Amino acid sequence: MSEEKTLRVPGRFESLAEIADFIARVARDAGFDEDDVFRVQMAVDEACSNVVEHAYGPNRAGDIVLSCRVDGNGDLRVDIYDQGRPFNPDVVPEPQVGADLLDVDEMKVGGLGLFFMRKLMDEVTFHFDERVGNHLTMVKRSAK
Amino acid sequence: MNGAVVQEILEADIVRVAPQGRLDTFSVPPFEQVLTEHLDAGRARLIVDLAGVTYVSSSGLRALLSARRRARTAGGDVALCSMAQRVREIFEMVGFISLFNVYPTADEAIRSVREGIPPGA
Repeated sequence: MSEEKTLRVPGRFESLAEIADFIARVARDAGFDEDDVFRVQMAVDEACSNVVEHAYGPNRAGDIVLSCRVDGNGDLRVDIYDQGRPFNPDVVPEPQVGADLLDVDEMKVGGLGLFFMRKLMDEVTFHFDERVGNHLTMVKRSAK
Repeated sequence: MNGAVVQEILEADIVRVAPQGRLDTFSVPPFEQVLTEHLDAGRARLIVDLAGVTYVSSSGLRALLSARRRARTAGGDVALCSMAQRVREIFEMVGFISLFNVYPTADEAIRSVREGIPPGA
């Protein structure tokens, strides 16, 4: 697959299942095994959930655009665009994950979605400019 | 079906809650509402049966964590059962697997919660 596959959906939680189906199809077509299909799907779900919840929120509306491309090495690049509030990943607190979670307070697990995205994908980069809005790029490298 | 939640009250304070399909940011609020209603009604021993769940997002994990905290404050707990391998991996990735009592089947979870037996005993 070398052509670009794109999906434009309303930036609402109701769109998440459609996004999940789309990205799973793209990742399967690109030759990823079911474990990696699941990982890509989860990372994209977390990313789009953040867009709906934080970039758009209850008072803003707009679309989410996903654009997927596989390069010559078989790596899958997913670009996600929205027109919501600028997202700055540096202000999101790191979640406390690991064995010392026993005294956890759920307030300390903010940033869990971001944690999953970084854990599941090989590259996660956020960009913002006034014209394009938020632009997130995630790359999953081919295991071949 | 995403967003559907099967519920079975087993004893005065024990309930089995079985969400279905994807537990994503869309379907978590009704699931969380169900947990909250049981906790508000004094049912603090919650068994969350994940047999029908294919996916759990971070919002699902947060809902479970929040319910667990409330249940424990009330002298109960949240036990999980029947997790698919992929769902289990999500819990393992963030170390949540050690936070919850996890049982292979609903029957084992129900028996243990009824008798107050910790898992593995």
